[in-house]
This record gives sequence, C-alpha cells and structure tokens, in this order.
Amino acid sequence: MLMIRTIVRPEKVYDVMQGMLDAGFPAVTKIAVVGRGKQRGLQVADVVYDEIPKEMLFTVVADIDKDFVIRSIIENAKSGADGKFGDGKIFVSAVEEVYTISTGERETDPLLPAKGV
Amino acid sequence: MKEIIAVIRMNKVNATKKALIDAGIPAFTATGRVMGRGKGQVHSDILRGAEAGHPEAIAQLGGAPRLVAKRILTVVVPDELCKMAIDTIIATNQTGNHGDGKIFVTPIIETVRVRTGESGDVALN
Repeated sequence: MLMIRTIVRPEKVYDVMQGMLDAGFPAVTKIAVVGRGKQRGLQVADVVYDEIPKEMLFTVVADIDKDFVIRSIIENAKSGADGKFGDGKIFVSAVEEVYTISTGERETDPLLPAKGV
Repeated sequence: MKEIIAVIRMNKVNATKKALIDAGIPAFTATGRVMGRGKGQVHSDILRGAEAGHPEAIAQLGGAPRLVAKRILTVVVPDELCKMAIDTIIATNQTGNHGDGKIFVTPIIETVRVRTGESGDVALN
C-alpha cells in the first residue's frame, strides 16, 4: 500500500476531498500546516512571507489505485486550467502494514470503497 | 527501523502514552487535532430509511461523510519492537466501534540524533 500526502491550498481542500469521495476514496485525514516552496515564500515589497498556510491531506491506498487518486487530486487542486505557483505538492511513500484498530485486523486487501450512501 | 503512524480517538491519547511507556517505548511525537473521515460507514437503520425514501433519513446522511476530530501519534521503533508497539496501541484503543482509528507502518531509512550526530538504531535508544 502507498501513503499519498498532498499539500494543497486551504481554499481548495473541500473540492479535493469531494473529488476523492466521488472517485470512491472517502478515507482521508487533514492537517493544517505552514510552509514555503521553491519560490521561497511570497514577497511583498520588503516583507517575505515564508510560512504560508496550507492543508496537508493524507490517505493510504492500494498500489494500483495510486495514479487514479493522484489524477483526481491534481484535477481538483489546480488553480485555473494551467495551475499556479503555490498549488501544492503530492508525495507518495511506501506503507508496509495497515491495521484497523476497531477490529484489530491487519488489512491485506485494498481499503474498501464506501458502502451505501 | 519502522515508523508507526496511529490515527486515534482524542480521548485515548493519554491512555496510549501510558501504555507505550509501560511497554518500554517512551518516545513519541503527537499532532494536535487533525480532521478526517474513514470509509463513511453510517448506521444501518439510517441507510435503510434512506433507501425507503424517508426524508429525515436522507437529511441525516448529507452529501458527504462528516469530518471527525482525531489525533495522530507517530512512534519510530527498531524493527524488533514494531509488533509489540502495534499490539499495545490496538489493545489500548480498541472499543470495537467504527472510528477507533487506523495504524500505518512505514519504513524509515535513517534516524539521526541531533544532540550527538550518531545515527542508526543507537539513536533510538
């Protein structure tokens, strides 16, 4: 399984989450973070803002679903058709084991899609 | 080395910290409140009501699963302690209901202790 960590603009976070829900990947955790990127933050006259607020979304998916989820995230996180500086980044890392605490089970199968609704 | 990322209920954090100390794993990092949702499972009665077309049931479901507040504990342990740490977290947090949380285990390539600069498993002890 793979962990997908996405850093997005705070105003885009609900679009991205709704997009993931529609794509059949409801499970996600959201953390407020601050950071800067390659552009070294925002400069207004002499003042540099290098702790720009963003939201980090993280979700764990099966290996085969990775490209699909990433495409759905990019589609919703972009500003305009071409995208702008500050739209964010997506990082993918390996997850060896996943456990559901309520059942104590180790999940070997892909995280199941939402039931009903 | 393994990184254990546990998304758990907010009111279980203190109990989990105690249990991990008793198990010999004192070091951890925790976030403040994080918001999230799981598979979006809802009560079966409400689902049945919505299928039958009751307006109150449909109103309760809403468009998307609600976000629930959780906290994340991150523990980095040597490989041999990994199984024990996971069992401890599951034993402390399990209530048997949906929303108890998830545990993710990811590999860590290197750990460096900032104070001395030493790296590897030594830096974890």
